[in-house]
Amino acid sequence: MKVLSKLRRYGLATISCGIALAVAWPIDAPASCFLLAVTVSSLFGGLGPGLLSVGLSALAFGYFFLERTVPPAVEPAVFLRFAVFLVASLLIAGLMEMKRRVEQSRNRAKDALRQAQSDLAHVSRVTTMGELTASLAHEVNQPIAAAVTDANTCLRWLNRDHPDLEEARQAASRVVKDATRAAEIVSRTRLLFKKGTPQWELVDINEIIREMVALMRSEVTRHSISVRTELADDISQITGDRVQLQQVLMNLMINAIDAMKDGDGTRELGVKSQRAENQQLMVSISDTGVGLPPQQADQIFNAFFTTKLHGTGMGLRISRSIIESHGGRLWAADNPPRGASFHLTLPIHAEGHE
Amino acid sequence: MATQAKEKLVAIVDDDELMRGALQGLLKAVGLRSRAFASAEEFLKSGLQHQTACLIADIRMPGMSGLELQAKLNTEHCRIPTIFITAHGDAKMRMQALRGGAAEFLAKPFDDEVLLENVRAALDS
Repeated sequence: MKVLSKLRRYGLATISCGIALAVAWPIDAPASCFLLAVTVSSLFGGLGPGLLSVGLSALAFGYFFLERTVPPAVEPAVFLRFAVFLVASLLIAGLMEMKRRVEQSRNRAKDALRQAQSDLAHVSRVTTMGELTASLAHEVNQPIAAAVTDANTCLRWLNRDHPDLEEARQAASRVVKDATRAAEIVSRTRLLFKKGTPQWELVDINEIIREMVALMRSEVTRHSISVRTELADDISQITGDRVQLQQVLMNLMINAIDAMKDGDGTRELGVKSQRAENQQLMVSISDTGVGLPPQQADQIFNAFFTTKLHGTGMGLRISRSIIESHGGRLWAADNPPRGASFHLTLPIHAEGHE
Repeated sequence: MATQAKEKLVAIVDDDELMRGALQGLLKAVGLRSRAFASAEEFLKSGLQHQTACLIADIRMPGMSGLELQAKLNTEHCRIPTIFITAHGDAKMRMQALRGGAAEFLAKPFDDEVLLENVRAALDS
């Protein structure tokens, strides 16, 4: 593969010099034609092919055009022109090489930035999950408690003087269900801790919403908040990174819960997905909490902006950059009569479109 | 006494479906009649609170909590012996529940024998 590309690049240099010669011959304009060939070779081939084209051009220039003058190349001006041509073509080859290197290092910097963003997102995710530990433990404890009770019940049916196998079987199958639930919660949690390069795949946003609502269940219950979900049933497929999108929803839901947990009145967390304009999908997370800081509605997306005692001020910043990297938008609005709502849009996955 | 207990109803209020199933299964294994409700509101709406001889309730639930349910029943002069089961009960919550007249306060996962002793005691009272 590498050899082939090398061959192609050097071939390009040779061919462009050949074409330059063919064009330059009838119109007697070697300097500009060969310079063009050198430019093309260095731009698309790199330093090696660039230098090759300089050499070939110089040879062709010397052989075909300096000899052509009658008497052959006696005027010093002709040699001077040749020298200028040589310098110019070397300069072009050199400049093109520099340009290529600058581009390479810029790409490397971009990759590093992307990696840093992903690392930061992971750290913030782990921090957030840390805050949720008590709730997650409760969430796992629930099916375990049910399993213990069901297993004891099963033993009771078996330990009778006349064991009731049918009842025991029913209790045992409940144990299976309980344990499966506990395992599901653990694997769902583990997925969120997973660190790695972003993986783009086809994801169902409604499924992610349902998962996150399930994961937040006890956190929500702990603060006597009711959850209202309203999911669009016709559209929900998008292309994106599942873990990152889960993180955005988790951030927004935790913010909503935080905004409500110290207030009075109804506490309702609304999660809605619906079709929006221009082949977009809109997800809205609304709360009936303290609302957005007045006159600062957009500053909340700035890095290190926080109204929380222990906030990092990175949650919304990271959420917005994740949504933007998915080709969508994230913004905040008031949720009359009370609270805030966050809306995000994502492009709907089109059939047959990569 | 045993025949009388059989006629008395045990109500279960828990938002967790698996837990409701487990509790109903356990009570059935010892021959007790029970009804399960997914929320405190559902229980209050059923109108069965006056026939209930023993209440097993979770504390943390969406909507009305177990302690709020207890307070509500107290104001309606409907004092049902109540056993609370909860996953994260702290000392303060326990005190509040017992002061409100709770018969017992159990942490999940609980010992089924202890739960049943309390249920039987409530039905005999």
